[in-house]
Formats: sequence, structure tokens, C-alpha cells
Amino acid sequence: MRLEELALKVIESAEAAGIDFMAVGAIAAGAYGVPRSTRDVDLLVSIEAPGGVERLAAALAPWVEFDPQIVFDTITWGRRHVGRSRAAPPFKIEIFETFPDPFVQSEFSRRRQVFVPMLNRCTWLPTPEDVIVQKLRWGRSKDLDDARDVLAVQGPESLDMRYVEEWCALHGTGERLRKVLAEIPPLD
Amino acid sequence: MTHRLDAPAALRALQNDIYREQIRRARQLTIQQRLNDVFDLSNHMFGMMLGGAMHRLNTRDEAAGWVEVRRWMGRMDRARDHGFYRSDKPTAP
Repeated sequence: MRLEELALKVIESAEAAGIDFMAVGAIAAGAYGVPRSTRDVDLLVSIEAPGGVERLAAALAPWVEFDPQIVFDTITWGRRHVGRSRAAPPFKIEIFETFPDPFVQSEFSRRRQVFVPMLNRCTWLPTPEDVIVQKLRWGRSKDLDDARDVLAVQGPESLDMRYVEEWCALHGTGERLRKVLAEIPPLD
Repeated sequence: MTHRLDAPAALRALQNDIYREQIRRARQLTIQQRLNDVFDLSNHMFGMMLGGAMHRLNTRDEAAGWVEVRRWMGRMDRARDHGFYRSDKPTAP
């Protein structure tokens, strides 16, 4: 199976389950920054539709084996469901649930639809500003690289930097923002 | 014998040149082309990992290679996610 085939199954299953979603992680970062390889199909899904996540996991069961144990990330305490593809290659599917966090609510409300030729369909993505804020909030080395790359490719002059700076101030990640901006060499 | 890139400033200049080229190429792509690249790079990465695993195991058995790749990815997950996820959520004070 190729990654785009699995991504298509995940997206179609989410739509069939009647849940709102958007792709996050490396797919979203690659859309706005420097494309990089990934093994993950990461979705942020709305919990507005009761039982939606369970229906999604059940629909994906022929291809994906989900861990029975839900885990929480230690930064926001959001709920995360982890699945692994049954067939090779060993792709990973991560489903993050929306929760009453002001930023998560904001980024989800601002999601946008993008046509993906390789999937021959549209999917939902966060805005580039929200990718930057989210990546800086998580703060692992690959997250910081992704945030820097989105800033460099899009250009701060074309981004709503006030929005980015306000969320970074709230999250206490302003110093991370300044650091990744400083890492971008003059490009012209 | 020293190399010109032993000088921190020279190394930094080279790193900046490489990064500028990465950004220049990414800017020339549409969002759709960048998304396609994510999929292509990912599929290619797994092809290379399978080749590496089969070489390490000295086998032509693809299934055995994938088992090894899966094991590698599990190790990488544990390293990257260490301390980042918990199965229990602390109750609010």
C-alpha cells in the first residue's frame, strides 16, 4: 500500500462516519513548507458527532489496527488514538480529538479545503499560521524545523503574524518563534 | 590538515546556501505539488528502508524485511515520543 492510498481510505472513512476533520502533522506542514517524508497520517477530528471516532476506527479496521489504549499528550492533554497499518509498509494513523482548548477550537474553525491531485479529491487542512502555532507549541525538534520551513516558504510578510504572535504569547512560545525566525537566512 | 568548512562561518554560509535552495524550490511548487511530494518522498523512504533492512538481514525475503522495518519504526516512536504521551490524565487540582 502507498501512503496516499491509506490517506484516501482515512479521509473517505471520516466522511462516511460523518465527522468533521482536517489533516495535520507532516502532511499539513508539507503543504505549506518544505515537503518531507512521513509515516503518519494524522487527523484532528471533531467530537461533535457522537460516536464518530469509534465509527471511523471501525471503518478503518480492515487496514488499520488501533491500540485499545487511548493516550494523552502531556502538553495539552488532548486525546489521541493510534493505529498502525496491518499491511506493509508500517504506516501510522493518529487521530487527535478536538477538545475545549481555545487554540484547537480556533484552528479547527479556520480549516480550509484543498484539492489534492494524488488523492483526486479535496481534503481539509489548517491554515499555515495555525500549522506554525501548533508546531511551536509542541516544540520537538522536527516540529520546530517544520515551523521554520513554513515561515520561510510562505514568508512572514504574507502571513498573519499578529495572529501567530498572539497565540505564541498565550502559549509561552514567543521565544521559540523568535528563534526559528532568526534561523532563516536572508532569502533574496 | 584543515578543511575550509572547519571554519564555523564557512560552514554556516554553506548551510545557508543549501537552505536557501530548499526554500527556493519549495516556493516554486503549488500547494498541490508540495502535497504530492510528501506522498512521493514517504513512499520512497519506505522503499529505501526496506532495502536497508533486507541488506542488514542478508535476505531476499521482503516479508522479513518489513518485519525489521516495523521493529525499527517502533524503536523510533519510543525514542521520539518518550515523555510526550501518557495513558492517564492527571485530575485537576
